[in-house]
Amino acid sequence: MGTIDLRAATDENSIADLSSQVHQLPCCIRFDGPADVSHFFKPQSSDVEIDGVRTEEAHFRGRKLQGATISLPSGYSGFVLGQASNLNANGKRKASMPAEENQCWEVKAKFDNLTYWNHDSLPSKDDTFLRSFHWFSIAEALHKPVKVEDLVAVSHCGKDKI
Amino acid sequence: MESDCLTPEWASQPCLIGIDEAGRGPVLGPMVYGCMYCPISYQSSLASLHFADSKTLKEEKREELYENLKLDKSLGWAVDVIDPRELSAKMLAKNKTNLNGISHNSAMGLIKRVLDMGVLLTEAYLDTVGDPEKYRIKLSERFPSIKFVVSKKADSLFPIVSGASIVAKVTRDRALREWLVEETGEDINRNFGSGYPGDPETKVWLVQHKHSVFGFPSLVRFSWGTCTTLLKGEVEVAWEADETEESGNGSSNKRQAKLSSFGFKTCDKRSEEIESSGKGRCKFFQARKIQQLTQF
Repeated sequence: MGTIDLRAATDENSIADLSSQVHQLPCCIRFDGPADVSHFFKPQSSDVEIDGVRTEEAHFRGRKLQGATISLPSGYSGFVLGQASNLNANGKRKASMPAEENQCWEVKAKFDNLTYWNHDSLPSKDDTFLRSFHWFSIAEALHKPVKVEDLVAVSHCGKDKI
Repeated sequence: MESDCLTPEWASQPCLIGIDEAGRGPVLGPMVYGCMYCPISYQSSLASLHFADSKTLKEEKREELYENLKLDKSLGWAVDVIDPRELSAKMLAKNKTNLNGISHNSAMGLIKRVLDMGVLLTEAYLDTVGDPEKYRIKLSERFPSIKFVVSKKADSLFPIVSGASIVAKVTRDRALREWLVEETGEDINRNFGSGYPGDPETKVWLVQHKHSVFGFPSLVRFSWGTCTTLLKGEVEVAWEADETEESGNGSSNKRQAKLSSFGFKTCDKRSEEIESSGKGRCKFFQARKIQQLTQF
């Protein structure tokens, strides 16, 4: 079981804010590492507005992408996690701990919005990605402690219906 | 872009139109469709303007003829510039349009534009795109009031088509020059040769401007086979649209077969790599592709 160290997230200055720079693409890019994104990937605002959100257009590898920038719901944040460095105090890799087995993650950057892109379809409320946000309110309801009053209210409700 | 937004004085006379393209084959730059139209009564004077197939003319001569025809009040013209990004996007779209389809639509778009200006078109001359007879029927069904002539080498047979080819070629050359001015950042040189995939200079340019993640600059038509070949061995990108094709049956199989021969590996985990499927969970999660992660 891995652990995630979120301590850095509370310190404003220690990690980068990647808001407006995070993109979710509708494809799998088999590559991890830096790339000169801003030089090749140039989103442009389009004239189309859907549900009050201005849509954007971009191209990647010859495909047309249509996207929208959305804020994460309040109370939620986006984090970029990276493996916690497994170096000891002397800056040497601990011999007993190969990198693959290191399951400690730490926050490297954060973001409070992101742009998600569809291939050849305009962004809409029905997109799976936006619909996954429904889970937030359901999770909240599921995990909220149930008070005596709630139980009483529910049982009364039931009786009224009968 | 077109000669004039105003309807010419002679618009109510029976007119002929010629349509030709520039930059259909090249692996880079826009494809331009151009048209020229004039009253049929003016047709005899066309020959004296010395229009010839734009490919046989030198660049300076083309520019000169282009400037002259713009001044000629008895001629009208219009162009449709199809950006290389638009070409790639349509050919690689979820619902793909092939190059012939894009060409047909562009030519028909030009005819519609001229008709909408109030010009009485009665004859139209075009070069072949695909099967000439099928193309002629398609055009005639769309525009029943026009008599269509679809012919090989129309650009050297009919002066009105030669004129259209000059308009198209000059517009493409200028668009290519402008694109190079607009593009910033990385060093991009002009030495891409003819732009045809077989041209050694073009090949060298493509290799020089290749990027392992992004592929090529926006000038390049990613949908061309040359590009797929050149990107083999670079970072692999898998699209959902191609995924569906593979499992689907029928017409689109051909393209998929091509893709797999260019280094698209098949592996069982693939669909899950592209996106989480929420497999084995309640419908709510499946529909939202939410997966539970216990190991990380």
